[in-house]
Amino acid sequence: MNELLKELYQEIILDHGKEPRNFGECETHNKSAHGHNPLCGDKVSLTLFVDDDDIIKDIKFSGEGCAISVASASLMTEKLKGKKLSYAENMFKDFTDLVKGTEDSLSTIDEDDSLYALKGVKDFPMRVKCATLAWHTFKNALKE
Amino acid sequence: MNKDKTLHKDIRKDFPILSKKILKTKDLVYFDTAASAQKPQVVIDELNQFYKSHYSNVSRGVHTLSVESTLRYEDARKKIQSFINAKSENEIIFTKSATESINLVAQTFYDKYMSTGDEIILSLMEHHSNLIPWYFLRDKYGVVIKFANITESGEIDVNHFESLITPKTKIAALTHLSNVYGSKIDEKVSSICKRNNVAILLDGCQSAAHLKIDVQKLECDFFVFSGHKTYGPSGIGVLYGKENLLDEMPPYQGGGGMIGEVTTDKVSYAELPAKYEAGTPPIAEAHGLGIAIDYMNNIGIENIINHEEELTKYAYEKISELDFVKIYGDGDNRNSIISFNIENIHSHEVSSFLDVEGIAVRAGHHCCQPLMKHLGVNSTSRLSFGVYNTIEEVDIFINALIKCKEFFIK
Repeated sequence: MNELLKELYQEIILDHGKEPRNFGECETHNKSAHGHNPLCGDKVSLTLFVDDDDIIKDIKFSGEGCAISVASASLMTEKLKGKKLSYAENMFKDFTDLVKGTEDSLSTIDEDDSLYALKGVKDFPMRVKCATLAWHTFKNALKE
Repeated sequence: MNKDKTLHKDIRKDFPILSKKILKTKDLVYFDTAASAQKPQVVIDELNQFYKSHYSNVSRGVHTLSVESTLRYEDARKKIQSFINAKSENEIIFTKSATESINLVAQTFYDKYMSTGDEIILSLMEHHSNLIPWYFLRDKYGVVIKFANITESGEIDVNHFESLITPKTKIAALTHLSNVYGSKIDEKVSSICKRNNVAILLDGCQSAAHLKIDVQKLECDFFVFSGHKTYGPSGIGVLYGKENLLDEMPPYQGGGGMIGEVTTDKVSYAELPAKYEAGTPPIAEAHGLGIAIDYMNNIGIENIINHEEELTKYAYEKISELDFVKIYGDGDNRNSIISFNIENIHSHEVSSFLDVEGIAVRAGHHCCQPLMKHLGVNSTSRLSFGVYNTIEEVDIFINALIKCKEFFIK
């Protein structure tokens, strides 16, 4: 099997793509956004509860899309839960750099990180939008 | 069959891009002609030659280069007239795309023949380019849009279509050949329109390079197609309109080239076809499209149709044998396009997997979101054939599809 495909579809991606974590809607939320990739029709809806100390206490997503976009959303929610917003924003930057292959040095994601599994996307430029859809939706939710 | 094989062996040599290796090792299998066709060497060469030796603006100067450009530009118009059997070259308008052609008709047809409350009929399987220009009319002027149903086999439900017509119906805009199902429109639709005094626009983007087009036989009032899907350059589209309609409708855009006389108080407009060609048109692109049409004529439209029919039939049978694949629409009335999904695998995954095998297929909603909703899917994969494809490529595709399923569903 082709190495690029193995790199793209690591076990963890297929797992999260099939059985996404944190799927649904937060019972109480104070931030939310809908994301949509008009080119392919993938959709994601995100709800968050952020406390007074800017900590993400709860985060959930729903929607439909390919394995890459669903896995990316699932992994993102796992990663962001419990994080401070400022840290999460750095993570946004690191993640988008990682999947575009433009990373220089990453401050919030290391090689053992589950998010690192999406690095293979950089060899499929048309799929970058799949991987970053949830993250851009997160960014938009913060703008509320 | 044998004759056909010799035919496409030679044809492949005409398309330099087909020798490209994907990821340095895989032979390119280009199954995305419905999105855009590849270009034969002769079109590439002629574009080059045009800029090197003949280029200037058209219909404006009297110097040699202006004459040489104008001759080629107008020659392309004549070739298109004959290619689609229009009565007059005045009925052929060059635009920048088929999308622009539809926008032109929507706006100017409304201006001349419609008012608030009048009705337009579209179908659920129209491409966004044959939806949004009409939505503009709904939003701006309050016209009513009705949608004809699609049958299980992927065709317009003719009875339902007819039932939508009222005295207020002014125009129907429908795909001649569906970019998702590959189904050709039932010819009854045109006669129903004619009987009820409803104008009809046919979107020929998917048919122009794959069927014999005769706008008089089709009994359509407007027919649009694009250059890039017919082996020509991008940046050029064609609008065919019946001369009396084009005469009566107002111009679309104002600018150079479309005027009769201009004073500080008023303007009169140029005769057809210049009336609808404001601004410097896509000159080299028009010439390139003319060359692409010569190219198709040299092969013979009948030969192209036979070849693609054979490929489509073979691919449909082979894919049908795979129990994990769902094909949209059925096997009859299918021309050069097959849309499908593998159970439980998103079309993106299928397309990325096939890409690594060197196979280019389209994944996504195909600019047909209402149809995707109707089908209850988010997206599909689509293979589509051109004159250069082969049976061997279909076999490569089938094997890759089996590997794809094994990769994702263990």
